[in-house]
Amino acid sequence: MKKIVCFILLALTLSHAQEFNAPMKTYMESLRAEAKAKDPSFSGFDAARGEALFNGVHVGKKGKEISCTTCHATNLKKGGQNVNTNKPITALAPSVNPTRLTDVAEVEKWLRRNFNDVFAREGVALEKGDVLTYIMNQ
Amino acid sequence: MKKIVLMIALGLSFAFAGNVAPANNALYQKECASCHFGYQPALLNRASWEKVMGGLSDHFGTDASLGKVESEQILDYLVRNARSGKMSANNSTMQITKSPYFTKEHRKIPAKLVEQKEVGSLSNCLACHTTADKGNYSKHAIVIPNYGRWE
Repeated sequence: MKKIVCFILLALTLSHAQEFNAPMKTYMESLRAEAKAKDPSFSGFDAARGEALFNGVHVGKKGKEISCTTCHATNLKKGGQNVNTNKPITALAPSVNPTRLTDVAEVEKWLRRNFNDVFAREGVALEKGDVLTYIMNQ
Repeated sequence: MKKIVLMIALGLSFAFAGNVAPANNALYQKECASCHFGYQPALLNRASWEKVMGGLSDHFGTDASLGKVESEQILDYLVRNARSGKMSANNSTMQITKSPYFTKEHRKIPAKLVEQKEVGSLSNCLACHTTADKGNYSKHAIVIPNYGRWE
């Protein structure tokens, strides 16, 4: 009985979890290797840490307080709005916007730009992996 | 008589008649218009576009950096279609809104219509110029949010 419940739970979890495509999996592997090289005690990316990074307020490139949520909003299943231009931004959550996190070059470009905008520096492998894990689960 | 007609035609062609070639480059649309309105290349002159593309890592305070290949392709598209007409005359800054002609054309618009959330700033062309994305800035196509037509 216990086994069946476990199995059902597992099946449900899997059916809800989004999965990275092959190129993105390779990219995540490279981030993992980088994180491990930097800190041998690294044991895997963590969505909760990613969420904290995503929702945290920092002094950004413009010298003003800003968060990822300033433009992307806190509910990633809904769209956001570019704070500088008012242009709408489509939802980040792959569960409602399957084009998200599918193109490694796009992902790298936006991580570079947005870490600079929000943290006034580039992200390290651990941070990028955590944030991507958080977004992927949305 | 012929001379006069020719001169008028010449005069008109130098004027900004409200139409520019649409920004129909797919890479430009993808990389630039994902954050803001896809300003048509003819709205700035070559020197301005070179400044813009030379400083993307600090693009009006944000990081808009591109890969080398994309950056070169977009610069090429922009300078090939840049114009030195009425709209971009005496403006070699990176901002279309700094053009003397642009300033003159927008001088009568009350600040509150610009500052309202539906518009935000004068750089949000499409908020009022309803056909701006087609390169058409005709007076007849202006509808200012919470105000109406501007003719």
